[in-house]
Amino acid sequence: MPFKEKLARSLFFLAAVLSAAVTLAVLGFMIALSLPVLKKAALWDILSAPWSPDHGQFGILAMIVGTLCIALFSLCISFPLSLGCALFIEVTRPGGPGKVLKKIVQLMTAIPTVIYGFVGVFLLVPIVREIFVYGSGMSILSASLMLGLLISPTMILFFSQSFARVPQSDLNAVDALGGNTVQKLWYVMLPHAWRGILTGIILSFGRAMGDTLIALMISGNSIALPSSVLDSARTLTAHIALIIAADFDSIEFKILFICGITLYGMTSCGILLARGLDRKPR
Amino acid sequence: MTNAFWDKLLALFSWACALLLVGAVSVIIGFLVVKGYQTIHLELIFSTTRPLDALLFKQQVFDGLFPAMVGTLFLVVLSMGFALPVGLASGIFLAEYAPPRVKWIFSLLFDVLAGIPSIVVGLFGFSITIFLHHSFSDRIFPCLLISSLSLSFLVLPYIIRTTQISLESLPLQVRLTAPCLGATKLENIFLVLLPSSLSGIVSGIVLAIGRCAEDTAVIMLTGAVATAGVPRSIFSSFEALPFYVYYMASEYADPLELTKGYGAALILLILCAGLFVVAYAIKTRLTLKTPYRF
Amino acid sequence: MNTGYRILKLTLILVMVVLQAGFCFASGLDVFKGENRVLRISGGTAHIPVMKEAAKRIMTVHPDIQITIAGGGSGAGIKQVGEGLVDIGNSGRQATEAEVAKYGLSMVKWAIDGVAAVIHPKNPVPSLTGQQLQDIFAGNITTWKTLGGDDRPINIYTRDKSSGTREVFWKRALKKGKISDKAHFVTSNGAMKSAVTNDPYAIGYVSVGYIDQTVAPVTLDGVTPSLETVKSGEYTVARGLYSNTKGEATGLTRKFMDYLLSPEGQEIVVEKGFIPVN
Repeated sequence: MPFKEKLARSLFFLAAVLSAAVTLAVLGFMIALSLPVLKKAALWDILSAPWSPDHGQFGILAMIVGTLCIALFSLCISFPLSLGCALFIEVTRPGGPGKVLKKIVQLMTAIPTVIYGFVGVFLLVPIVREIFVYGSGMSILSASLMLGLLISPTMILFFSQSFARVPQSDLNAVDALGGNTVQKLWYVMLPHAWRGILTGIILSFGRAMGDTLIALMISGNSIALPSSVLDSARTLTAHIALIIAADFDSIEFKILFICGITLYGMTSCGILLARGLDRKPR
Repeated sequence: MTNAFWDKLLALFSWACALLLVGAVSVIIGFLVVKGYQTIHLELIFSTTRPLDALLFKQQVFDGLFPAMVGTLFLVVLSMGFALPVGLASGIFLAEYAPPRVKWIFSLLFDVLAGIPSIVVGLFGFSITIFLHHSFSDRIFPCLLISSLSLSFLVLPYIIRTTQISLESLPLQVRLTAPCLGATKLENIFLVLLPSSLSGIVSGIVLAIGRCAEDTAVIMLTGAVATAGVPRSIFSSFEALPFYVYYMASEYADPLELTKGYGAALILLILCAGLFVVAYAIKTRLTLKTPYRF
Repeated sequence: MNTGYRILKLTLILVMVVLQAGFCFASGLDVFKGENRVLRISGGTAHIPVMKEAAKRIMTVHPDIQITIAGGGSGAGIKQVGEGLVDIGNSGRQATEAEVAKYGLSMVKWAIDGVAAVIHPKNPVPSLTGQQLQDIFAGNITTWKTLGGDDRPINIYTRDKSSGTREVFWKRALKKGKISDKAHFVTSNGAMKSAVTNDPYAIGYVSVGYIDQTVAPVTLDGVTPSLETVKSGEYTVARGLYSNTKGEATGLTRKFMDYLLSPEGQEIVVEKGFIPVN
């Protein structure tokens, strides 16, 4: 191999190693910086205690619960909506209207997160407050509604992609046997496409957990454990954004790296799961 | 009878979902347009400064969007400057050189990187800055350079992925012709494979630019501030459009500032949607042309 | 070619002269002449309006100076200036002796400010006793009805530990009482004000300088927080606004501090709703 080829090859390799190193560096840094805290307090205590810096308690349980609540709830809102839209695009109206909807969904991926937060603050929060006559309107519900909208394009595109991959011959077979659309969906499409659907769900769940701005702007950020969807809650991401300004020698600040690792761990697990699912069964 | 009933129900459900989604999006966009369109004129951007003076950086702009827009522009240019060469090269490596096992490990790592929440990347950038400040030079602060480096980590996996996929999805014919005629591997990559997968790659890049322009979580941790003016160097703090929108939403001082917030949000939305449309246009245009090239 | 160059040169000179003419009108700002550094400010959020205005005036006349202003809260301001991350760290409370000793801070107090409990202007509960206020923030009184208002829950807004405003309010008005877990958190005085403006059933606390017609101050034990009552000492939830530097301020930082204390700087302080020290 001429020198030039070799050089190019090693440069490409180097770039790949560099990019991969970033992934590991983020993890390494988070672990290294949270070790000093872990030496002082057991991980379990941090994960299970309440957050009350005035009383020397630095637990992040409420934030973990808040993160999961908001992400799960947004998934509950977004899943049926996305399924319906994907069916609209691929099954019930695959022609003109479906194509138009697909374009709109693709365009939705370009809407900045901060826009959802901004509209949430000035439009959704007052509406939620007046409809439910409870609290400030800054609540898990408001944040989940906006987040549901944020993650639905990911889900819809994944779903419709997996529906589109169902072999046409199988669909024709159902038609030939006189099956209706629902039977087609239930007996042919879902068995074929469930992996894609599940992958879409997992990835959007990760997206919902990792989002900062919507939760920070419209979930109210209170540190109490939420007891209803109209209560305010704080997510891990919002917690990082709120505490980052604190004195960086303090325990509060160092706890942020535990939050970081928790988020890193949760999203990576999701990615691993999604990859496992995505591999075609033999 | 029952067949028709179930079919109708399904159609109804899908129509309802489609209308709900489109309705929700129209409400969001409509709300911004109705509240913000009146503020969109030169004064929103340049305030009382003369536009030409501002554009030539002769005079600072106060109470206008100009510094934030310039900040976002600098951010995008810098972070793409970092991410593009590395991302393209990594993508080429994955698609053309890596043996299956290596490819598996690398793409796993890139997938994980793509999944890391942006606030964690921001936290990483911030703590590295503090670390460097303590151990190397006390002239290192959270700044434009740190922000754009962190942002480039964020978009790196997108660029790698689109490059890899565009290269891998080329038909075998295209892939084999040049080597059969005696081209080396490198020549094949740069003269044949990259040009023919250009549409995919370029639209991926444009989408990555959109990501850089919209992300707020990273920059609010690594150097975006409320007031900075046009950044003087890559080592200074800066303003940015998405941060401005966030800042205005949470702490506008009076109704006038709030309307500026609406204007800024609308401009950001137009910018990101515009980038998306550009990406889409590139993709369809070039994809239509490519088959006739070979 | 040569003439073109000459014309360009002449135009440039002309532009310079015209710009220079603008400079001459600025009086207190002459000391900044010749400075071309970046001045980094962060910390207390009550300070921001004054800082912004001062920066605007200085940068308009001397475009070579760049002043960047960030929030974060008093704790962050003190910490960041101590670590050398910024040139000036603002705080809405005095730095503790430990902080002064650790970083060698020097403080300049350039305004006096109060911290007032605020509610939405349409809220019909304009005055509270100290005990009622403490009960509200502790979560013992949970609806406005108890206090004679609408039958709606009270939404408490508070700040995080880094805030000097919180510290003063907690010590002087809440007598170090409990603040409910259910309280919403906001990150600055500005955010507190807009949160209360947007929520008719809110209660929060802001720097007196931030109060305008969009939020209503709560009369506490018969004293309405305002510039006059803070000045006369009648309203006791008061504090100074400080700017801290690491060691004695020098150069541009010194000039900026002096500017804050100059007649023009103090004029800005008054204009933004605070009480000047000079």
